[in-house]
Amino acid sequence: METIIEIKDLTFGYSSDQEVLKNINLSINKGEWITILGHNGSGKSTLSKLLIGLLKARNGTIRVDGLLLDENTVYDIRKKIGIVFQNPDNQFVGVTVRDDIAFGLENLQIEREEMIERIDSFSKKVDMFEYLNKEPQQLSGGQKQRVAIAGILAMETDVIIFDEATSMLDPKGRRKIMEYMRKLNEEGTTIITITHDMKEAVESDRIVVLKDGKILKTDTSTNVLNDKATLEQSNLELLLPLELLYYLNENHVDRKELKDYLWQLSLSE
Amino acid sequence: MAIKFERVSYQYQSIDKRGYLAIEDVTLSIAGEGEFITLIGETGSGKSTLVQHMNALLQPTEGRMNLFGIKIDKDTKRQKKVKLNPIRKQVGLVFQFPEYQLFEETVQKDIIFGPRNFGVSEAEAIKRAKEVIKVVGLDESYLKRSPFNLSGGEKKRVSIAGILAMEPDILILDEPTSGLDPMGRNALLKVFNDIHEKLNKTVLIITHDMNTVYEYAKRVLVMREGVLVYDGDPLQLFSRRNIENWNLETPEILKLQKALQSKFNIEIDNYPRSKKALFEAVKEGVKQ
Repeated sequence: METIIEIKDLTFGYSSDQEVLKNINLSINKGEWITILGHNGSGKSTLSKLLIGLLKARNGTIRVDGLLLDENTVYDIRKKIGIVFQNPDNQFVGVTVRDDIAFGLENLQIEREEMIERIDSFSKKVDMFEYLNKEPQQLSGGQKQRVAIAGILAMETDVIIFDEATSMLDPKGRRKIMEYMRKLNEEGTTIITITHDMKEAVESDRIVVLKDGKILKTDTSTNVLNDKATLEQSNLELLLPLELLYYLNENHVDRKELKDYLWQLSLSE
Repeated sequence: MAIKFERVSYQYQSIDKRGYLAIEDVTLSIAGEGEFITLIGETGSGKSTLVQHMNALLQPTEGRMNLFGIKIDKDTKRQKKVKLNPIRKQVGLVFQFPEYQLFEETVQKDIIFGPRNFGVSEAEAIKRAKEVIKVVGLDESYLKRSPFNLSGGEKKRVSIAGILAMEPDILILDEPTSGLDPMGRNALLKVFNDIHEKLNKTVLIITHDMNTVYEYAKRVLVMREGVLVYDGDPLQLFSRRNIENWNLETPEILKLQKALQSKFNIEIDNYPRSKKALFEAVKEGVKQ
């Protein structure tokens, strides 16, 4: 399998006496859907900022599609990786929704005709087409978040990082974005979801659990979702059906078909 | 009633002069103590606009409000003599991502900023800071720290403490747990429950998390396209058939209860109020 992102011995701290990320090694395959799961303060957002060169590593290297990330390559790398942040207010740059979506495309020097087409089609994908002429202060938090997502999707990068990008969406909006992630992934886009929501992690191929800046575990999603000890250590929660399954085991309740069903339920989210 | 809305509508102005109606014809009352309310609805349904009326940050473009005895309608803005400050003290509003509004060098300075602004003496404000920091589940040592070196969950707690220090009767929080990990979220919900139960304040939370609605709230308001479509008991809301039409999710506990009941012949209470109650019911049900 082809590697798209290769992280080696990555260490980072905001000040000299602290280390937010410690010796991270991770390689992500082309077309993979990977979840970085971790508690608040585990370093997961810092990792995403390092990946797009918003922060500079203290030690170690990041390669994207073979290209070593440094001052000279950072702009080329940002054409390959798009990121949607948690708080849309931090990335709304346009005067209107249309301008905001256009911003990233202008940076990529997309032709005007093509740009108009992409703005229309991607704003429709997140149900914000009718809002193209609105100003950000007329939008709710969740609507701004959808605009931010459309802006990144329109850039059609090889890799998209969703950094708690659905935190402000209502359930319907969240499901829509999840469906869209699934579709993008099927079409070959590499997806990195950064979250502490187990439901967002269910669909990914692999889960990396971060704790206090270190990788605690990397495994298939199924194995991590079922690993109560690891999740508890990381301030995370089992999905409810699995929690019930553990509870029944602890209470020596034996009914195989019930337990099988609970397991199945947890994966069908 | 501390807060009374009578047919309140609000129209936003925009450059194209067309404006748009964010809330329409909302009538409701909220008591000044002892309520635990959740406000739910899709993004853009008018939830934030609605709560910004509750402390007169926004004023109706149609209809009337009575906030702690002060009458407000579309003409209030022009009548400069109407003092809105007392309302802001009685109704504490915590915005989305309040942690971005911290700005002082120490947590203590941040917390006393609000009360000092309302004319509370420094000594009294510091005394309050020491109390409220405990209410939000942090200890006094935090008061000397810089707010910028705290985790996201701690920053949220500090900003909530800052509002509590003004001693409001009603505390309104706009998506207070978004962005917190499960443990941080549960801890903060417990803080709100304590503020409600031990301090007997009215707490109103805007949320998308139906589990919060189901497990904590005594009353739920549902907004849909600017209209208040439901005001009542959470249990009754979730037992109605059409909640999917309102794009509301079923709480996890109920989803699991329904799935198990339809698949297996287990006797489980139709509306178990907590995880523990559901788990125990399943355990007992299987044994029989």
